[in-house]
Amino acid sequence: MAEKKEVYLGYTTDKALTPWYVEWLAALEQERIMKSVCTSCKAEYLPPRQHCQKCLSVTEFADFTETEAKLVSYVIVDFAPESLSSKAPYVVAIGEFPSGLRLTAHITNLMSLPEVGMALKLGFDRVDDKKVTYRWLV
Amino acid sequence: MGRKVAVVAGGHSKFGKRYDATMRELCAEAYKPIYDEGLTQDKIDASVLSYAASQFSGQGAGSALIADYIGLQDKPHMRVESACTTGTASLRAAWGLVSAGLYDVMLVLGVEQMNRVSSATATEYMSQAGDMRWEYPFGISFPAFYALMASRYMSDYNMDHEVLAKIAVKSHHYGAQNPKAHLPKEVSLEEANNAVPICRPLNLYDCSLITDGAAGVVIAAEERVKEFTDRPMWIRGIGAGASEMMIQDRPSLTSIPGAKRAGKAAFEMAGLGPEDINMAQVHDCFTIAELVAYEDLGFAEPGKGPELVENKEIYHDGRIPVNCDGGLKSKGHPLGATGVSMTYEILKQMRGEAENSSRQIKDVQYGLAHNVGQSGQFVNVFIFERGF
Repeated sequence: MAEKKEVYLGYTTDKALTPWYVEWLAALEQERIMKSVCTSCKAEYLPPRQHCQKCLSVTEFADFTETEAKLVSYVIVDFAPESLSSKAPYVVAIGEFPSGLRLTAHITNLMSLPEVGMALKLGFDRVDDKKVTYRWLV
Repeated sequence: MGRKVAVVAGGHSKFGKRYDATMRELCAEAYKPIYDEGLTQDKIDASVLSYAASQFSGQGAGSALIADYIGLQDKPHMRVESACTTGTASLRAAWGLVSAGLYDVMLVLGVEQMNRVSSATATEYMSQAGDMRWEYPFGISFPAFYALMASRYMSDYNMDHEVLAKIAVKSHHYGAQNPKAHLPKEVSLEEANNAVPICRPLNLYDCSLITDGAAGVVIAAEERVKEFTDRPMWIRGIGAGASEMMIQDRPSLTSIPGAKRAGKAAFEMAGLGPEDINMAQVHDCFTIAELVAYEDLGFAEPGKGPELVENKEIYHDGRIPVNCDGGLKSKGHPLGATGVSMTYEILKQMRGEAENSSRQIKDVQYGLAHNVGQSGQFVNVFIFERGF
């Protein structure tokens, strides 16, 4: 098993740390997003998968370099799950990159209501000064 | 295909915040009317006794507890789980066993006890049914998944929230007439449209309830049906579907692909189409879910669901009555009980046993139940036929 340390993806995180996931989170700590590419059929995944959904072969990490996306949909969470109740309200958005790959994250700098189709930019944030996460900026 | 199978009896507990009961008592309450109809324990060959989430009650091996409590401790039983479709998944499993000839008569009970924890904790538990690695860390709650659909639907079809509010008004209108309902009260359009936000664009009245309750039905093989009733309800079609785990991976957010597949399969098995259905119980965990269901099941073309709402075609005297028991919205949504409750309601409507004429649908020959789990990862559609 991986070393035991506090690693956050969003504001909470999957506690089922595996070496593969820890490697991905280590890149995130350096403000890098990694996609995964199937070693057999070359299918690409974001968020990454350790195994290809199509042929079940293992994948390998590759830098994901797209940063511009369009907003597919959004929600403003007013009543949050217990673990995030202190953070509400917050905005969660699905963004789609030109490649068609998508990512789900918070929008953190909205000054007005979001709109489907609006431009998003992928960025990073430090939560509580030490936990890195990715986010959307408008 | 195996033997024909019919629903021969049904029972239903009061839905609500049932601090007076645990899972076992709720199940006894749902089984008692069935027992009183003559389906005593000795008539039951086996049972499926299911709930969706053991976190709520803290009870492990719950089917054994329930079986023992209602006097079926010496009969085979099992639990089936698939989130909010647990009830119809249980019915599907039982149907398979009876149709195949392993058993002749089976009891299907669905139950959930959700109010032993706070609303925030319940919301936490249900959010854990999202992808724990990639969705849960961003605080995507159960209503948030459906709010993502609502935002996109409202944008694509230029729909105002008021359409969703009208669905809530309809659900509460019928829930107010259902003595089993959790929140049996009418709400005005103004209240429903301007309620406190939960996950915008969805507000309080767009969301189903966190409910305790149980419902049960007994099914029997065709050669045994007459022993128990002269008013059976045949299971004519069954379809099941599934969708991508992460909502971001769906090709569309204005439809649930698994629901379309499940509906198509059920109609094909039944040899029927949407135009043949006289009533539908659809999975309105949120008002947007009901709207999307109209379209996924073929009652309306994509983007045209709001017309059914505006024209009141979903009322009990409309073209396709939907959720005239109050639905998940007003009757309540005890996860594991919901699909069985839908089946119970269709049986009741076919038998003309609604509590009053203002919610009784006339001459129901075919009824449809549409039961969705999580945000569409599981879907079951049943088509029932009146057998009398």
